[in-house]
Amino acid sequence: MQSGPAADPSATGFRRRAARFRAAVVVTSVAVVLAAIAGAGCSNSPYTPQEMQGKVQFRTIGADPKSLDPSFSYTVDEALIVDLIYPTFYKYHYLKRDPFVLELNLGAKEPVKTAWPVTIKEKDGKTRTVQGERYSFTLKNDLRFQDDPCFPDGKGRHITAKDVVYSFKRMADPSVQCPVAPYFADKIVGWPEYSEAFEKAKEKNYDKEMEGVQLDPKDPYTFHVILNQPYPQLRYLMAMHFTAPQAREAVEYYKDEYPRHPVGCGPYYLSDYQPKQRLVLTVNPNRHKDVYPSIGMPGDAEAGLLADAGKQLPLTEKIVFNIIRESTSSWNLFTQGYLDAAGVNNNNFQQVFTASNALSPELEKKGVSLRKETEMCVYYFAFNMNDPVYGGLSEKNKKLRQAISLSINADEYIQLLKQGNASPAEWVLPPGVFGYDPSFQNPYRRFDPQLTRAKKLLAEAGYPDGVDPKTGEKLTLYYDNTATNAAGRQSVGIVSRMIERLGIKVVSRPSLPDQFQAKLLKGQHQFIFYGWYADYPDPENFVFLLYGPNKRPGPNSANYANPEYDRLFEQMRAMDDGPAREEVIRKMRAVSVEDCAWIPVIHNVAVSLTYDWVKNVKAHPLASDAAQYRNIDVDLRQSRQRAWNKPNFVPLVVLAAIIVVGSLPAVAVVRQRVNRRVRRADAGGEGDDS
Amino acid sequence: MSFFQSDFFLNLVPCCVVALLLFAIWRAGKQPLWAEAYRRLRRNKVAIFALVIIGLYGTLALLESLGTTDKASQTRITLLDRIAQKTGALAVQERYYSAPLATMTTGEANPQPLKAPGQHLLGTDGVGNDVLLQTLKGARTAFLIGGGTLLISTPLALLFGLMAGYYGKWQDDLIQYIYGVLASIPTILLLIALILVLGRGPVQICVALGITSWVGLCRLTRGETLKHRDREYVRGAKALGVSDFGILTRHILPNLLPVVIISLTLGFSGLVLQESILAYLGLGVGGNIGSWGNMIDAARDELAREPVIWWNLTSASVALFILVLAFNFLGDALRDAIDPRLRS
Amino acid sequence: MLRYVIRRILLAIPTLIGVLLLTFFLFFGLKNPEVIARQNLGKNPTQAQIQQWLADHGYDKPLAEQLKRSTVDMLLFNFGQSDTTGEEIKERIKKGAGPSLTIQAIIFATGLTIAILIAVLVAYFRGTYVDRFGTLLTVVLISIVYVTYIIGLQYYLGKRLQYGPVWGFNREAGLAKFILIPVVIGVVAGIGASIRLYRTFLLDEINQDYVRTARAKGVPEGTVLLRHVLKNAMIPILTTTVATIPTLILGGLLLENFFGIPGLGGYLIDAITNLDFAVVRAMVFLGTLLTLIGYILTDIAYALVDPRVRLE
Repeated sequence: MQSGPAADPSATGFRRRAARFRAAVVVTSVAVVLAAIAGAGCSNSPYTPQEMQGKVQFRTIGADPKSLDPSFSYTVDEALIVDLIYPTFYKYHYLKRDPFVLELNLGAKEPVKTAWPVTIKEKDGKTRTVQGERYSFTLKNDLRFQDDPCFPDGKGRHITAKDVVYSFKRMADPSVQCPVAPYFADKIVGWPEYSEAFEKAKEKNYDKEMEGVQLDPKDPYTFHVILNQPYPQLRYLMAMHFTAPQAREAVEYYKDEYPRHPVGCGPYYLSDYQPKQRLVLTVNPNRHKDVYPSIGMPGDAEAGLLADAGKQLPLTEKIVFNIIRESTSSWNLFTQGYLDAAGVNNNNFQQVFTASNALSPELEKKGVSLRKETEMCVYYFAFNMNDPVYGGLSEKNKKLRQAISLSINADEYIQLLKQGNASPAEWVLPPGVFGYDPSFQNPYRRFDPQLTRAKKLLAEAGYPDGVDPKTGEKLTLYYDNTATNAAGRQSVGIVSRMIERLGIKVVSRPSLPDQFQAKLLKGQHQFIFYGWYADYPDPENFVFLLYGPNKRPGPNSANYANPEYDRLFEQMRAMDDGPAREEVIRKMRAVSVEDCAWIPVIHNVAVSLTYDWVKNVKAHPLASDAAQYRNIDVDLRQSRQRAWNKPNFVPLVVLAAIIVVGSLPAVAVVRQRVNRRVRRADAGGEGDDS
Repeated sequence: MSFFQSDFFLNLVPCCVVALLLFAIWRAGKQPLWAEAYRRLRRNKVAIFALVIIGLYGTLALLESLGTTDKASQTRITLLDRIAQKTGALAVQERYYSAPLATMTTGEANPQPLKAPGQHLLGTDGVGNDVLLQTLKGARTAFLIGGGTLLISTPLALLFGLMAGYYGKWQDDLIQYIYGVLASIPTILLLIALILVLGRGPVQICVALGITSWVGLCRLTRGETLKHRDREYVRGAKALGVSDFGILTRHILPNLLPVVIISLTLGFSGLVLQESILAYLGLGVGGNIGSWGNMIDAARDELAREPVIWWNLTSASVALFILVLAFNFLGDALRDAIDPRLRS
Repeated sequence: MLRYVIRRILLAIPTLIGVLLLTFFLFFGLKNPEVIARQNLGKNPTQAQIQQWLADHGYDKPLAEQLKRSTVDMLLFNFGQSDTTGEEIKERIKKGAGPSLTIQAIIFATGLTIAILIAVLVAYFRGTYVDRFGTLLTVVLISIVYVTYIIGLQYYLGKRLQYGPVWGFNREAGLAKFILIPVVIGVVAGIGASIRLYRTFLLDEINQDYVRTARAKGVPEGTVLLRHVLKNAMIPILTTTVATIPTLILGGLLLENFFGIPGLGGYLIDAITNLDFAVVRAMVFLGTLLTLIGYILTDIAYALVDPRVRLE
């Protein structure tokens, strides 16, 4: 605002200046509005035009992966990425179910099992020989790692059996903290010693060989795993990314950054990772040749799942994983068509599917389809069996637990907290696992609204109507949980309400995850809710949760120990599937159901919403590499996105109009004030400061 | 620590806050020093309205804090619960979400009829509690956090502020250094660090907020004390042999009160807002205590539902908004009344 | 002048040391590292694994070493590794600083400009309905929680009106559109307090004698406001801008989470959820450093603008 040295006292001069001032304000506001419109004028898509036009999958994960190290990573979200980068000896057939079929992936031929005598050194120095097993695995001979700076010239190196043996050694390294290491530790010969040597040594010596995982002296693509006991579950572990070949060069080159620089040989490689934002997988030119299956289950062909049969995998050139923490944000993005699917593996999204049983018409019109797949998991309440009030195997406490078990209504739980997307659990084993008996009904999971039987059992346990006769006060059950968010509190509230119908008072003890773990470890918990997802479809992977020696710090968080159950477990774990094994499992079930350390509640159903431009969608409860089979109809997606995303400028115009109209009286005020001032100036008065 | 975590203590805080408020108003009316400001305030309709609103919230907080433990069910029943039980649908627990005035539950696969159809004015939440009742109950947490924090921070701030301002020298340097350190850590970061270390819970939050919020008031007190220290009346008192303590409490403090009260009024609203942000960050009062912060936090998932559950967010936000607005208006009015220089 | 600057910087050092000692006491005095280890080791760690973890993350060292780690190393920007992911914290901070600063700088500049404009308008129309409405509006704006702003405006501007992406931050796709809605939210959420403050500054100045003199000389109101009042009010306005830093940090925390901006705020939120104390410690230090630099800069600006400040 330039002006002359002396202010012009005349009224016209003031009007001019006031007008200029007003004009400045108006121009600025118009500029701001225009800038806003200009900014909004371009598309609201978070992707580049090239990405939108290419065969790219747009997906979401709820948080940054903690680690993409295949020896460490263990969460579902991470597996979505890791399993695409690190393929394994076996993989699950994409379409086949009942039973799940393992087919060779990196493996050249089915492994050869031979009986193998193993010498075990006892603690007292004596040795004895037991009948062990040796598995010989042979890899394909044309495998190469992805191109990466960690290799000479940046060219991906040839893969040999050494690279799988290296993965086994890494699992035995305690500093790697491999979650499935305990599965091998007591079975593979020489594992504990090898692990201990790592712990003691200052420099880690990966050149040293492990007795139980040996390279074949003749064939560079063959290695042998020697076990001191029968371990039929080994084949499943050969389909988990822990046993995928890893390049020692990569681990040593990237060191602490290896969890963010995966180097594998899978269909995709990690081409871009922006923390908190996106993670991009691009098709790996060095991938091994693999094609889309041509045989599926009955009905798959009709569902269009065989349209791409025989085509080279993967079917899309890129996968963009958007890392979205807020469920509102990802839901908004999905409804705008910028995410191909919603709900897969993102815990937040459990909330979204209220529309689940009947997809809302708006979503249906948009071409969204709904899929449900029972997950191979069990969610349960567990008592701490070391607790003086609720634990122990005494008849009285057993009845107390049974009564509480009878008060928890799985159907209501499923309706209210899972929106109907779960099936009630009767015991530990979920459907799809050998030994699961659909006809079995747990006598302590039969809910009746009157709670007649529960109340009777409670009285027999010595607490009529939940009152402890010694104190005359209600029995208190401490429900330990990690509910720090609203969803968690809701679930705690609903369950507490159910148990309180018995007359028992439920007190929620929420704590941070670390404090919760510490509580569990020290056995200070009383009643908890927990879940377990299958590593592989063998019953051993579930029933071991109640095996006595697996007590905390093992996975047996109930600290349940029944000698009869333990004996049966040891008998059952090495058996081959068949009626005999089924019989043992049935006996284990009878024992554990009666003891009621667990209240099995649900087997979860994963719900996902997918747009119709995504092809070949079939969920698999165990495999996480499904993305390589997916296909995208890019034209359909683009036309939909364009139709759904048109900015609406009406409110902006209305807002501007309101401001203009609203400022009119102010203009009048200014006029008035100016006139008054002019009159006063005429009268020789001073300017006022109202 | 268990005493500080007990219901009794947690209820004591809102009661004390309300009692202190009443006492302050009663005293202010009698003080000649305040009569003029009091008169001006009474003429200000907005201020009276704001006071009435704060009074209403205070009453709610009081009603929710006073209660008896039911021997049979071992649960606490507050006066607010008793009133709710008498007024139809407020205390009726449904099984799930339901929209305001709806007759069926919302959001489950097979909607069920409600026990009190069409009577939940603001609907029900995920556990089936009446949202209106939950919102009303949130007032207690607001007063608990706001009041509890002020009870911690005000004495601290006054003590240090008076000392620093009155004595000067090394006391002043030390206190200035302490609050200089605290003030240079951005509030939210210090809060996060404190709560992560102290753990979650209402008392911890009050302590953390107390530590972060006493600085402002302390600085203010120090400045004002400095102004008064060399005034005639203080020198006079000194000459008459009044002890330092006497001078500080009987002469300087009353003169600082207007400034302090304005600052507290405006500070209270800030604290209530902070609680809800902490709840969003997962560092709130915890699940056993209903609060507006928790309700807003819950809305993150609820808004991603289809159909959208909007009533929880709206009720809590509006309740919070009105209380904070009232405090802000009252603070402004107080400033105008006490310090006419600033009137526009 | 240089001497003043140096003195001002030296004065900040004891404060910084105080902050470092405070954070050291908080994170090492009150928190048992074993609990942190357990949290980060996931499934049922063995004692050996815990020891290993403590050693890997340097928590097994003697207290003196820890003290060095949380003071000297911090000053040298050696933040060490994240407790959760083992990542170099420095690298992540480098990556995150860009997006955070971009957004916050724009919010700061836009917010300041708009707040001053509106404050001038309100002061110009003081006593009229515009003033009353403006004051009411500012109080209303102050009384709404940040989270509600974000949820509400993201839903309305992003999802309903589709003015920009509801999520994302992709340099190749053009940053302007990603920034639009977060900036609008940041400005709207922070502007109430600023307008209110600036209005008082302006009114304070308006009551000064020199303004009366100018008016008496017949200088028109608009000119008085812009040339005399605003110029003088800029001093307190600029000195209080440093007070908006905490709001900006809070805004960063929440906005980045909702809009997927890969900045420091989101990093901190992750650290809170994962109880990543190493990251929280580093962020507290950085936040403090920023604030201190802010204070120093305003003091210098103040000294440059206001001749009453003695430079000795």
